[in-house]
Amino acid sequence: MSDPTTMLLAASAGAPDSSVAWLLQVPLLPLLACLLCGLFRAWGVTSKLPGYTTVLLLAVAFVVTLSGYLSFGGHGAQVVHGFDWLRVSWGDGPGETLSAGFSLYIDSLTWLWMLFVTGLATLIALYSTEYMAEDQKTGGYARYFSFFSLFVFMMSCLVMSDNLLLLYLGWEGVGLCSYLLIGYHYTKPSAVAAAKKAFIVNRVGDLGLALGLMLTFVHFGTLEYREIFARLAEIQAVVEAGGSAPWQVELIPLLLMVGAFGKSAQLPLYVWLPDAMEGPTPVSALIHAATMVTAGVYLVARFLPMFALSPAALGTVAWVGAGTALLAATIGMAQYDIKRVMAYSTVSQLGYMFLGLGVLTATGAAYHVFTHAFFKATLFLACGAVMHGFAGQLDLRRLSGLAKVPGWRVTAVAMLVGCLCLAGFVGTSGFFSKDMILAEAFVTPGPGYRLLGWIGLATAGLTAYYAFRVYFRVFHGPVEFHAGEEHHGDDGHDDHGHGFHPHAPGWAINLVLIALVIGSLAAAAPYFIDKEHHGWVGGLVHSSTAGEIVRASAGHGEAAAHAGEAAAAEHGGFFGDPHRWMFLASSVVGAIGILLAWVIHMTGRVSADRAPIADALKARLRPWSTLAEKKWLVDELYDALIRRPLRLLAHILALIDQALVDGLVDGVGFAPRLFGKSLRPSQNGLLQNYAVGMGGGLVFILLVVWALS
Amino acid sequence: MTLFALMLIPLAGALVVAWSPARQAKWIALAWTGLALLAAVFAAGRFDWANPARFQFDAEAPFLPSVGISLSVGVDSVALLLVLLTALLGPLCVLGSFSAITERVKTYYGWLLVLQAAMTGVFVARDLILFYLAFEFTLVPMFILISLYGSDNRRYAAIKFFLFTFTGSILALAGLVYVASVAAAMNDGAWTFQIDALRRAAQTMSASEQGWVLAALLAGFAVKVPLFPVHTWLPLAHTEAPTAGSVILAGVLLKLGTYGIYRFVLPFVPVAVAEYAPLIAVVSIVGILYAGLICWVQTDVKKLVAYSSVSHLGFCVLGLVALNIVGGAGSVLYMINHGLSTGALFFCIGMMYERYHTRSMKEVGGLARRMPLWAFFMVFFTMASVGLPGLNGFVSEFMSLMGAFQSGAYGLGPGATIGPLGPWFAAVAASGMIVAAMYLLYMVGAVVFGPLKEPAGHHPHPTLPTDLNLRETLVLAPLAVLCVALGVYPTPVIRALEAPVGETIAAAVEVIDYARPVEGLADAASPAAPAPVSHTSPEGAGHE
Repeated sequence: MSDPTTMLLAASAGAPDSSVAWLLQVPLLPLLACLLCGLFRAWGVTSKLPGYTTVLLLAVAFVVTLSGYLSFGGHGAQVVHGFDWLRVSWGDGPGETLSAGFSLYIDSLTWLWMLFVTGLATLIALYSTEYMAEDQKTGGYARYFSFFSLFVFMMSCLVMSDNLLLLYLGWEGVGLCSYLLIGYHYTKPSAVAAAKKAFIVNRVGDLGLALGLMLTFVHFGTLEYREIFARLAEIQAVVEAGGSAPWQVELIPLLLMVGAFGKSAQLPLYVWLPDAMEGPTPVSALIHAATMVTAGVYLVARFLPMFALSPAALGTVAWVGAGTALLAATIGMAQYDIKRVMAYSTVSQLGYMFLGLGVLTATGAAYHVFTHAFFKATLFLACGAVMHGFAGQLDLRRLSGLAKVPGWRVTAVAMLVGCLCLAGFVGTSGFFSKDMILAEAFVTPGPGYRLLGWIGLATAGLTAYYAFRVYFRVFHGPVEFHAGEEHHGDDGHDDHGHGFHPHAPGWAINLVLIALVIGSLAAAAPYFIDKEHHGWVGGLVHSSTAGEIVRASAGHGEAAAHAGEAAAAEHGGFFGDPHRWMFLASSVVGAIGILLAWVIHMTGRVSADRAPIADALKARLRPWSTLAEKKWLVDELYDALIRRPLRLLAHILALIDQALVDGLVDGVGFAPRLFGKSLRPSQNGLLQNYAVGMGGGLVFILLVVWALS
Repeated sequence: MTLFALMLIPLAGALVVAWSPARQAKWIALAWTGLALLAAVFAAGRFDWANPARFQFDAEAPFLPSVGISLSVGVDSVALLLVLLTALLGPLCVLGSFSAITERVKTYYGWLLVLQAAMTGVFVARDLILFYLAFEFTLVPMFILISLYGSDNRRYAAIKFFLFTFTGSILALAGLVYVASVAAAMNDGAWTFQIDALRRAAQTMSASEQGWVLAALLAGFAVKVPLFPVHTWLPLAHTEAPTAGSVILAGVLLKLGTYGIYRFVLPFVPVAVAEYAPLIAVVSIVGILYAGLICWVQTDVKKLVAYSSVSHLGFCVLGLVALNIVGGAGSVLYMINHGLSTGALFFCIGMMYERYHTRSMKEVGGLARRMPLWAFFMVFFTMASVGLPGLNGFVSEFMSLMGAFQSGAYGLGPGATIGPLGPWFAAVAASGMIVAAMYLLYMVGAVVFGPLKEPAGHHPHPTLPTDLNLRETLVLAPLAVLCVALGVYPTPVIRALEAPVGETIAAAVEVIDYARPVEGLADAASPAAPAPVSHTSPEGAGHE
């Protein structure tokens, strides 16, 4: 504590405590909802009480967050002290106390995340009250909302924590909720397998995070953000003065990054997310699209000052991001399950966010997180409405022209708006956020970053295509639909279209869809607020730790800007200002993608499953089209290269262990058999013999001792 | 006298059970174990937590005074916590056996009570004779519980259990007697068996002597823990034992091994410990991964959890030989936490077995549909076992790994401590986290989730309801509450462990003190060139 920085921090952290303690309500209200729903489950409540309780408490949490933001948003970081969760001390010196509190660190980056987490969670909970209604009688309803609220609690811990260990709690906690909710339909083997896969693949990432956390503690002697960032600022100063950062500081980001890749479904750990679609659709919308999967982006953004000191980590993040974006988009183009298309699109969009972080535009990444949260939630909930109404039908070859079916207008509009945003159509929210990342990729000097920009741009075209492929196939063309496998009709044929009556969404689903459509469109507005920082989100990022480092590394930033200008000058008339030409280029690419989707899927389409051009193209592009449909066989590859060999090894070890058992027993020889035989007549005799033998042995030893003395 | 009372209450209970009608045996046993629990809680309340390293409630009973043997007792916070764990599991085991044990009930509850007395004796002993008597005497009741109340292959399992652990402990005894002879020689031939006196004497032994004593002691304690490769008795014993037997075996008996290492090996032979710690760590890590992978292909649920103990206790021993306070305190917490969560898992499996008479995942599955409350507990304790933050298992696992990571991580920064291990040990051991998720979720995915599967010709249990009844819930609920409590607020317990752990490892740390890093390397902010990382002490380097 002799360190003046530490003392300063301690003093400033202690002062505002009482006035900000009420912010603890943000995590605690969802926890309360979780416990209440657990009690409702135990009492066998079959009404919608659990659902409305959750909606109410989450709404209050959102209001608290909002008023917190309005009170403190512009006042720098707030630290709220809870209690010492874990504290071990082995001395008084620096780095001799390992401590992690249940304490909050709230700066503008936190506010950004918490606003959309609590806001969207409230809306999606409301949607779920209707969506999950079928499970009211089985008790699944209360269970669902209990896990749902637990997720919001864990997510709050993750985002609001003031130290890495509590972040880790939230990190694994959201993983648990994801596991429980993916496996919500626990009698379905595929759901159980998907849940297991999600947890285990995430654990691989968590291993990296855990090791990064340990190295952070050993290197910095603390796990608390404030102290870490204070130290990072010192290192930054050294670097600016021409020194180099300690190698640990370059290694820690590489380890944390592994965790981020797991949670945010990036190469090579993305394989769990598409399978996670086994969970109920609102869960996919909230956890596997809008919030949890952005935790990796949050982690990197939070520690961007450290990533900025590690060129290797930054480069990897950028390359992995762009690679994932492209790969997932190619898979998304060939899927027929519309929820899977959305899942791959999430993976792909997360790739953009990492690309943004890799080229140090935390603003672009955070803004894309923000817009994506809205439009992807919209898309998933629209898919969910379709799935709910058509008895689980998700195959775009078995649904067509839904926009013309009465009662589905809101859903169709929601889908259209979502697809426009996803495709980055001019003027939509996705347009601004994606372009911010791409423009930055083109101007940032780095290993092949310009190529990454091109990859991103090409992916934008693919994205527009696959988004509108879904939209045109499902909502336009001739009206035709078949019920999914959850339909229990009396006609025996589950694909008998005429005997089936879809039930259109009710008020809760429609209300939430409308709210989200407005949200998705309005998410473009922040771009025009606070022009100085590239929008409201930019302002938030700017006043957070991620922004501070950008200022601190002004040397690098300027260098980057200069390089960009030089590049622009070099290509002169052809390129011009990167941001301006980016708008143009991506509008064109997006429009081409949409147009292609129209031509390929609407021309001469006679029924839901027959679009002549698409079918012909698919045949022409074999085997690539088939491979993309089969997800490039990545799952099969992992299975063959990792799971099976490990399983084989495990079987061999089990055999060896068994042999060792028998071998050793044989080695001991006749003893067990002798004991067994001679003592078989009386079990009592058996134990007495042992007792006598033992006692005798002990007496013998004591006698020896006595004799020796 | 409190501590003698803790031992005598269960013994008295055993006598009362022996002379009372069979019908009331379980209630009497419950009452006496409950009384013992109250006494333990009372002791904990009177314990001076401000001086957790000081042995308290010390008392002495003369026993062969002519040769310097007396039975003396006393507890520090480490021993007291283990006594509390033992006392807690006592009534729960009785309560959990109500419906499972219907024949020879008096013998069963009688020996269960004797077993509790013996286990308590191990933890409260302050002299070698009492320690060894109690340590060995735990074998008899356990042997009887397995061989009379176990399942099909119980006789073989019981004999194997006995032979393995008995052979091991004879070797440990040889080591301890040798230490006692050294002490006697120093004391002009006057024998003493006081642990404190023995420790002072033992530390004067030469390095090679210490090496031999280490080998002897480890032979005994490693079998008990059990460490790879002497673990093979455990899966068998667990599988065959009755539920309460498994709970006690996993909950307390295995801890006799780690407690032995903590109480005798670390302080008695510090030079040898400092030298061989990397080797012991490697063996532990091999055990973590080896047993973990084996778990993954088991079809017998109980065997799976049994192997998981081998894997888990690898973390526990790893934390011990990290020779720092984080690792050591984490390891002691691990003993408690493993007892709670794995004990609870065995209870859960027992409750399933009572209803379905099978432990095979091929025959039962998807039981969440039939038994939602049971499924809740099963998933809950699995998560505690898998090391989910917020529950108890995480705290101890993290601390054990963290201890290994920082131990001897010279030059990495101010958070490094003197020690024989290093980041690589932690990194490899931490991959056990992934393996644990693999096998535990495999188990839950098969037994709790998935399509409902019940054995052919399954009949509902004559007395038990489909899901858990109140009695069974009362067995599991206290354990669940403790799992949450120790997961959310372990800080007071950790604080009480810092001082005693520090004293235990002090001598060993002193030995490796020469490896202390040069001044200045710890200063991370300086733009110094990367310092070389020494992951092991020089002697240990060859074992990596």
